[in-house]
Amino acid sequence: MMDELEFLKKDWKKQEADFPKLSYNEIYKLIHKKSSSIVKWIFIICIAEFLFWGLITICIPESTFAIYEKFNLKTFLFVTQILHYVVVFVFIYLFYKNYKTISVVDNTGLLMKKILKTRKTVNYYVYYNIVLYILLSVILNAVMFSHTDILIENLMPENSNLDTEKFLAINIVVQIILLAVMCGLIWLYYRIIYGILLKKLKRNYKELESLEV
Amino acid sequence: MNKELEHKFIVEFEQNQNIIHKVCRIYTSNQDAHNDLFQEIAIQLWKAYPKFRGESKLSTWMYRIGLNTAITLYRKSKRSIVTQDFDTVLYKIESTSYDDTEEEQLKLMYKAIHQLSDIDKALIFLYLEEINYREIAETMGISEVNARVRMNRIKTRLKTILNP
Repeated sequence: MMDELEFLKKDWKKQEADFPKLSYNEIYKLIHKKSSSIVKWIFIICIAEFLFWGLITICIPESTFAIYEKFNLKTFLFVTQILHYVVVFVFIYLFYKNYKTISVVDNTGLLMKKILKTRKTVNYYVYYNIVLYILLSVILNAVMFSHTDILIENLMPENSNLDTEKFLAINIVVQIILLAVMCGLIWLYYRIIYGILLKKLKRNYKELESLEV
Repeated sequence: MNKELEHKFIVEFEQNQNIIHKVCRIYTSNQDAHNDLFQEIAIQLWKAYPKFRGESKLSTWMYRIGLNTAITLYRKSKRSIVTQDFDTVLYKIESTSYDDTEEEQLKLMYKAIHQLSDIDKALIFLYLEEINYREIAETMGISEVNARVRMNRIKTRLKTILNP
């Protein structure tokens, strides 16, 4: 009996005649359609993330900072902001550099590695933003709550029936809940977006890596 | 984009389009998905074409981009929900050329290939295209030895499916 695989090979060659033949015009139309590759999606989503986190800092109204002035935190915040922008530009540069190295002509293993690396740059950028957000919250709160008199004077509504102890406690609890909710939402977002987008890529990458062990 | 380059590309693509059809054949199981993947590979080839200097053969270059698109870049569109059995629609095996058992075996074989992982599909595809192991290893980014070992495993697996 003929080897099955040789038999398959024979059939494999024969099938060429059955394929539809696209004409010059059809090919012309085809190559001018829009790509929907994951690299393109990752690029779009990453740009959106840079913009989102950038805009969030810009969109905070100036009045929010008025309170910090009373605690002498304005210079601290200003320096932090400058440093933050430097870090953002470093991230954008690294992202762009990694993105540019992605080439569909690379071998499969290398291509997957480069895509994951580009994606990771943006992951680190988001981690950085979350850590910065938490750190700033902790520092600012620590400073403010160590000067409770100024805090109460500025934040507590007049003619409120609450006693000051209760007011401070509520304040802390609300801040912690907000922080937790925000981190939860970001985590969820990443699970969903990148779970869908990178599932196949990660699975194939792992398989290819396991071949080399 | 350069019109002359575009013309050259389309002519070359027209002559070699079977390569892309074959990649789609291995990776998809219905006509919609086939067309979808075919389109994405065509776009990727065209995007990469200005940098193609002819250091490698055009076919080698097409294999690489075709497989990379299928394994890495391509995401199934919503349209590709399986509606029809591929083998019975487009690539009907002519009953005149094979007897029933052989036809049955081929069907089983293609079915078994469709159940392989994306990486294994690439290996079997390159094997069917009679690409040597050095080139297979280079295309996938693995060592030649590992390519051989893996291929033997796939072959054994396919044979067990056919001769349980």
